Amino acid sequence: MITDEVRRVLLTAIDLYPQASEVLRRQLVRLDEPLRVAIAGKVKAGKSTLLNALVGEEIAPTDAGECTKVVTWYRDGPSPRIVQFPQGKSLPVVRRDGALEIALDGPADRLVVDWPSQSLRSTTLIDTPGIASLTTANSLRTTHFLSPEDSPSEADAVIYLMRHLHSADANFLESFRDQGVARATAINTVAVISRADEIGGGRVDAMISARGIAGRYRADSSLQGLCQNVVAVAGLLAFAGRSLRQNDFMALTALAALPREELESSLLSADRFVDGSVERRALLNRFGVFGIRLAVTLIRQGVTEPSALAAELVARSGLLELQKVLHTQFGERRHLLKARSALLALDGVLRAAGDSRLTGAVERILAGTHEFTELRLLSALRSGAVKVPDAELASRLLGDEGAHPLVRLGLPRGSGPGEVGQAAFAALQRWQRHAENPMLTRRSADACRVLVRTCEGLLTREGARPPR
Amino acid sequence: MATSPQRAIELALAAIKRYERPDLEQRLHQARARLADDQVRLLVVGEFKQGKSMLVNGLVGAPVCPVSDDVATAVPTVVRHAETPVVTLVRAEGRTEVPLEELPRFAAEEGNPGNRERLLHVEVGLPRPLLAEGLVLVDTPGVGGLSSVHGAATMAALPSADAVLLVSDCSQEYTAPELEFLKQAMAVCPNVACVLTKTDLYPEWRSIADRDRQHLADAGIKAEVFTVSSTLRWHALQTGDQEVNTESGYPPLVTYLRKKVVAQADLLARRSTLHDVLTVIGQVVDSLRAEQTAQENPESVQQLIRELTEAEQRAAGLKERSARWQQTLSDGVADLNADVDYDLRDRMREIVREAEDALLAGDPQKIWDQFSVWAQQAVTSAVSANSVWATQRARWLAKKVAEHFDSDREQMLPALRVGTSDPLRSVPELAVRESDKFGIGSRLLTGLRGGYGGLLMFGLIGSVIGLTLINPISVGAALLLGGKGIVDERKRITTKRQNDCKVALRKYVDDVSFHAGKDSRDMLRGLQRDLRDHFTTLAEQLKRSLTESIQAAQKSVKASHGDRDARLAEIKTELAALERVVKQVTA
Ligand SMILES: Nc1nc2c(ncn2[C@@H]2O[C@H](COP(=O)(O)OP(=O)(O)OP(=O)(O)O)[C@@H](O)[C@H]2O)c(=O)[nH]1
Ligand SMILES: Nc1nc2c(ncn2[C@@H]2O[C@H](COP(=O)(O)OP(=O)(O)OP(=O)(O)O)[C@@H](O)[C@H]2O)c(=O)[nH]1
Ligand SMILES: [Mg+2]
Ligand SMILES: [Mg+2]
Repeated sequence: MITDEVRRVLLTAIDLYPQASEVLRRQLVRLDEPLRVAIAGKVKAGKSTLLNALVGEEIAPTDAGECTKVVTWYRDGPSPRIVQFPQGKSLPVVRRDGALEIALDGPADRLVVDWPSQSLRSTTLIDTPGIASLTTANSLRTTHFLSPEDSPSEADAVIYLMRHLHSADANFLESFRDQGVARATAINTVAVISRADEIGGGRVDAMISARGIAGRYRADSSLQGLCQNVVAVAGLLAFAGRSLRQNDFMALTALAALPREELESSLLSADRFVDGSVERRALLNRFGVFGIRLAVTLIRQGVTEPSALAAELVARSGLLELQKVLHTQFGERRHLLKARSALLALDGVLRAAGDSRLTGAVERILAGTHEFTELRLLSALRSGAVKVPDAELASRLLGDEGAHPLVRLGLPRGSGPGEVGQAAFAALQRWQRHAENPMLTRRSADACRVLVRTCEGLLTREGARPPR
Repeated sequence: MATSPQRAIELALAAIKRYERPDLEQRLHQARARLADDQVRLLVVGEFKQGKSMLVNGLVGAPVCPVSDDVATAVPTVVRHAETPVVTLVRAEGRTEVPLEELPRFAAEEGNPGNRERLLHVEVGLPRPLLAEGLVLVDTPGVGGLSSVHGAATMAALPSADAVLLVSDCSQEYTAPELEFLKQAMAVCPNVACVLTKTDLYPEWRSIADRDRQHLADAGIKAEVFTVSSTLRWHALQTGDQEVNTESGYPPLVTYLRKKVVAQADLLARRSTLHDVLTVIGQVVDSLRAEQTAQENPESVQQLIRELTEAEQRAAGLKERSARWQQTLSDGVADLNADVDYDLRDRMREIVREAEDALLAGDPQKIWDQFSVWAQQAVTSAVSANSVWATQRARWLAKKVAEHFDSDREQMLPALRVGTSDPLRSVPELAVRESDKFGIGSRLLTGLRGGYGGLLMFGLIGSVIGLTLINPISVGAALLLGGKGIVDERKRITTKRQNDCKVALRKYVDDVSFHAGKDSRDMLRGLQRDLRDHFTTLAEQLKRSLTESIQAAQKSVKASHGDRDARLAEIKTELAALERVVKQVTA
């Protein structure tokens, strides 16, 4: 198991480099902790809102004006607790209307929030201040946190939010990539087109439009080398859906019962809708103009249960798609991503020490772990550095859409071992044939051999029966 | 009610008709022509997807600019007045009219991705009262996108704008890049207003607007802020609902455009017309006064003729190369040429230096794609910054020349002018304003295309240099752990690639520098010619006026007593008539 190998080499390193033992020990602990996923993006991209949607509770403060000022960690814990660093001071846990309120006590460089939550069990989420902010200090904090100049990054993976691909976004993604890890960072970044409902001006078909744009970005070669995938998500809607309350539902049902003309005229603008009413104002803040238009339409089309409405809102928000992508890109590769972070840190130590005693061991892990090879090939395919025939099949086989053998082989769910064996064998033959094709460049042929190796792995997996 | 500039010209033409001065009449005709096609260019700019195109549509009440959820505007769209709707494509090679419904195919990213049609801009003519007042709206591609070549073109178009609307939506307060852009824009075109769009979508729009006002104040920017909703405006236009129209926030914006932008430009036009009218009448009056003095005191006629002749000679001297304004002009242009050239070279050197550092840092193969995009962007913005700066300096030079010309002229005139020194000196704007005002921007783009071959070469190198010698595993490891395990062979290849890349880069930069340099030299040459022609004509007019005065004075020597009294009476009436005109136009 890769984690064990990394642990072994870390332990050896601790003995060899006592001066760096603290850094290395931290990496050792980190190997057993949940994966750390940072949420980054330009100011007001909707980072905190998306974090809340992923957790299903309002634990990250959000606001229309600039809001998140320090890097804040949200991790699973037995009971709610907020600690402010560098002082290490505990802050009172205050909730108003279900929303967690954090009042900083003096200058802070980091907040750690412990929160009992199923969603945080396997991943720690890290909320960051927006980049390209007018308050430069806040933006710098994020840049420094995610790509520090002198130490390895604290995050294992990044969800990058952008409203439209702005040059500031590309610069950021690129600087993140540049830090000595070259193209490989594309494997731990997922891009999200956030506040997706607003892209279409809040029209009822807005999400369709947003998905189309995400598709275009996915195909955009300048982004392919920078991230694994692009998904459109309306975080506000997702959160409203996940936390839909009975009184919200009643208010929406009442709206849906209004005469069509009256409703249409009041939904023309936010001002018209609120019209001095406190309740409506609160509803609008929770759902957004698009959320209200959509919910009312759904109710009119016959959704009668709060739970059904909630499910529909979440589904339309794109959250499920994001969760799925996060699962395949990050969740299933958890060990690999953590091992990678640890090896990066170790590499830093080795370089600083100017010593090569462990270099061989590190190289062995990197070159010897087939999953790493797969990841590298995957990102090489994405960025176009390597070309193979049947590139889409190749990406899928390498686990681009999920690590499960059925997914890799493109088989329907529930296929039996016989079918898996057959498909894997066919794939094996295909890639062997390609590997021997004299027309291919040496690099492409090598890539095909990596794929052959993947097929062999699938065949030797327990239960898969190769055809006779 | 002040006399309209057109009327002032009519009055002046009528008043000087009897003096048979085609040169002065010509000057008034020119002023009239300038008035006729005087337009106020309003540039609508901002980051992409902020609602710029929809704003333009809302202002003219027609769906002229393509609006879409994805990146939309590909080329600047110029919306101006026309009796019947018409769409014209403007390319470097010429203009073509196309049917109305073809517009999206050319103006939008969807039909014309990356402006592959190579349009400089698209022109839309529409019959609209707001446009008939002389307002020309220019919708621009968003700045800040990945292809910030757009942004550079927008920057380059700024100096030719009379006013700018900066568009940003109410979804969030200003970001650092937006304010940065605004500051740059203010430097070249101070008449800027800010529009915050999509108020219908954001319950918090008021607080966002307050924050933005605060940001503007903090940055020391004085600009009015308007909050609008184009969706509401559109609804109002379609249903005729006045209430919704008020809620859309458009009426104050339209009033601002009428009262502040168009009227301001009118004021300028009025001033320069008035200047022309007063100078023309002033010259006629001068001649008459000279004659009057001669007729009144026959004994001092010789003295007067001497003075006038000297003045005439000095006026002739104004046309000479040695005149102070001529010196200012030719020295100024020479300096400017050198400065602009130096600036461009300096910027390019900087880019080359940075680029070579980047190339030497590793294997160029790996960073090639990003690198070539970066290089293109860096070079584009350097060229546009250089051309903006050149335009600014050129304007300043034009003003200096005008000042020197004026003060030369004043020193030269004999003392008989009574209170005719022009209070309203205006620089002839035509000097920097080209007939096709998109000149600089378009030249910039053609310049880049000239250098395009270089860029193509970039692409080529990427594929020509083989990848075959590298073992994927060791490269993979190196990629993951940065530069580790580079074998000697690879080093050799890397060095070769680095050199190839350096050569390609330099060639590209040289190409672009050559085109950009030529463009700015042409621009300055044009400026020099325009200014020289303009002021030489003025000097000629002056000389001719003085010649007439001398002739009149000489005639008076021979006149009899009776003739003299009759002529004096005539002069008095004529002067009174001219003064009436002056009063009327300055009222
Ligand atoms: N309509 C809509 N509004 C959203 C969405 N996500 C966030 N918002 C709104 O956008 C504003 C900013 O959201 P935040 O989550 O605070 O954004 P942030 O990126 O954390 O902001 P900073 O931390 O200040 O950089 C809030 O007013 C949210 O209500 C969304 O998906 N749809
Ligand atoms: N609700 C609402 N939506 C708007 C408003 N103005 C623009 N939009 C929407 O915002 C999106 C972008 O509008 P455009 O006018 O194309 O924006 P643009 O700035 O011209 O975009 P580019 O040319 O691509 O830079 C479209 O989906 C419009 O429908 C507005 O006032 N209210
Ligand atoms: Mg936040
Ligand atoms: Mg547009």
